[in-house]
Amino acid sequence: MAVEEGGCVTKRLQNELLQLLSSTTESISAFPVDDNDLTYWVGYITGPKDTPYSGLKFKVSLKFPQNYPFHPPMIKFLSPMWHPNVDKSGNICLDILKEKWSAVYNVETILLSLQSLLGEPNNRSPLNAVAAELWDADMEEYRKKVLACYEEIDDY
Amino acid sequence: MSSGTENDQFYSFDESDSSSIELYESHNTSEFTIHGLVFPKLISVTSQDSEFDINEDEDGVDTIYEGMLDAPLTKNNKRILCEGSVPNLSYECLTTKGIFERMLQRVDHLQPIFAIPSADILILLQHYDWNEERLLEVWTEKMDELLVELGLSTTANIKKDNDYNSHFREVEFKNDFTCIICCDKKDTETFALECGHEYCINCYRHYIKDKLHEGNIITCMDCSLALKNEDIDKVMGHPSSSKLMDSSIKSFVQKHNRNYKWCPFADCKSIVHLRDTSSLPEYTRLHYSPFVKCNSFHRFCFNCGFEVHSPADCKITTAWVKKARKESEILNWVLSHTKECPKCSVNIEKNGGCNHMVCSSCKYEFCWICEGPWAPHGKNFFQCTMYKNNEDNKSKNPQDANKTLKKYTFYYRLFNEHEVSAKLDWNLGQTLGTKVHALQERIGISWIDGQFLSESLKVLNEGRTVLKWSFAVAYYSDASHNLTKIFVDNQMLLANAVESLSELLQIKTPEVIMKRRPEFYNKAGYVENRTTALMECGRELLCKGICKAAE
Repeated sequence: MAVEEGGCVTKRLQNELLQLLSSTTESISAFPVDDNDLTYWVGYITGPKDTPYSGLKFKVSLKFPQNYPFHPPMIKFLSPMWHPNVDKSGNICLDILKEKWSAVYNVETILLSLQSLLGEPNNRSPLNAVAAELWDADMEEYRKKVLACYEEIDDY
Repeated sequence: MSSGTENDQFYSFDESDSSSIELYESHNTSEFTIHGLVFPKLISVTSQDSEFDINEDEDGVDTIYEGMLDAPLTKNNKRILCEGSVPNLSYECLTTKGIFERMLQRVDHLQPIFAIPSADILILLQHYDWNEERLLEVWTEKMDELLVELGLSTTANIKKDNDYNSHFREVEFKNDFTCIICCDKKDTETFALECGHEYCINCYRHYIKDKLHEGNIITCMDCSLALKNEDIDKVMGHPSSSKLMDSSIKSFVQKHNRNYKWCPFADCKSIVHLRDTSSLPEYTRLHYSPFVKCNSFHRFCFNCGFEVHSPADCKITTAWVKKARKESEILNWVLSHTKECPKCSVNIEKNGGCNHMVCSSCKYEFCWICEGPWAPHGKNFFQCTMYKNNEDNKSKNPQDANKTLKKYTFYYRLFNEHEVSAKLDWNLGQTLGTKVHALQERIGISWIDGQFLSESLKVLNEGRTVLKWSFAVAYYSDASHNLTKIFVDNQMLLANAVESLSELLQIKTPEVIMKRRPEFYNKAGYVENRTTALMECGRELLCKGICKAAE
């Protein structure tokens, strides 16, 4: 009795949406942009306390392939982001979104991982080399860069 | 017409060079004397092929390690044109199945040392790319850590209850099971390892199916515990782990491409394993090429992966092929020998360089390049704009571009003509079996006696291949040098010899074939001699730097 891939992804995403709506975590949230299309979501992440991103909110996009959850969603920062592991277009370098992906991960764990990445960048493989240098050298200047880059989310 | 005349000089016999040619030929003749016997044996000449035959002896050590075997070295007996010589290559031919069987033998051999199940050793070896030395080293240092690291053991404290243990690594049926992967609640078969991470059978199959083609160790979806081959087969319901092994071996061949090469011929699945690569630099230095032969008798160059390309070395071959690809659009167009008259469709063969064509049948005048009517082209040396545009696009100096194109066109046409002839000869080979059979039936000769036909065809094919690639060498050679002129003369001699032998092989009547048998021996022997001479002359051009690929 073979399960259709489309059916699998739909049921899975419906389940994830229900879990998120009932979640008590306030620092992250996500939902489909279009009620009729479960494969494209936007998510919101609050910067962790005691980091250069404290108090700031960031918007990301999540595009789910038909073979999700056996393959990871494509995630990008829609908000401008100054971070060693994020490039100018918002592309993210994070191992669990690539070779370390597992089908047991979900939207919540992904967003929480991104939130952790804000406070703990991986400076060994930076997409933004200047940010990687400043992180170690000058946190004050780093914070200034983050704020200079920051834009309030207008549809939150 | 003038360009034709200019090119003809390459093939013309120049009186002033006669002494050099005689000296060179005399040198070769003394090595390859043909006896005047009525039924002489075909002279066995040392050729590239004999150097690269697969070793018949089985090595005592049964391993696919790099550099673990002492390759038997035999000096090349051929006359040396410059310092040094190259040893015979020591290689073997394998298939993925053969490699896998060898891997299993190694696992069985190692099992008493490791004292763990064979399926576990298979995973350990897979992780260390079948480097047994490295594996044993790490195993000695940190045995338990290694098992945990590779997912063959768990630090979790699991109950040792016998009944509980029996539920792991088995497909079980569950009622009302909710799978956290597909979020479906249903009655379904499930699978789990000792870690207890349980998923429905469909999700596990989907997951494994994706992983089989990567060639990596497959783990639990939620932790690093490894699935063994038998686990994979249980989940999938049929022997799928062989696909994983295939992918693992392909990945292995890819990673070790200094020692392993896939046969480049279409649909051939052979892998050539070069045991000792230490002599390869010497091949390159002396402008030889490491030709090998797979189990299906496909011969190719281990270095660059192309077919056998003597007398060109890998550098010339690569440059020539690259140029051929770049120029192919123009050349396929320019080199068309015949076209239909646009008006009455009679086939017209182009002669000379003029693009102004007149159909001999209906007298229609048209342009050879664009096949349009000639009248709008006018006169006064007008060239077709299509051709002109191509030239303009190629270079800022149209005159130089045109000259380059003409030179290349000349050599490519010759290269291509012998490629086409080689295909025709291949078709000829298909009919040889019929002829040999007819010889046996009608005249009653033995199979052995009919072998001269097959041998002649083999010599013909090799001669054609060498002749074909010799035009690539000629293209990159300094045309003004004396040795290049000698090379061109050798080309002409081989071309004539090849055509002569090819003509002989067209004979259909078995009785006539047997009557003219001495001619087969003589002509095949001559082709073989001229082939060797051309190869050596070409190599000399390379060694002396007269032939070199411009960067």
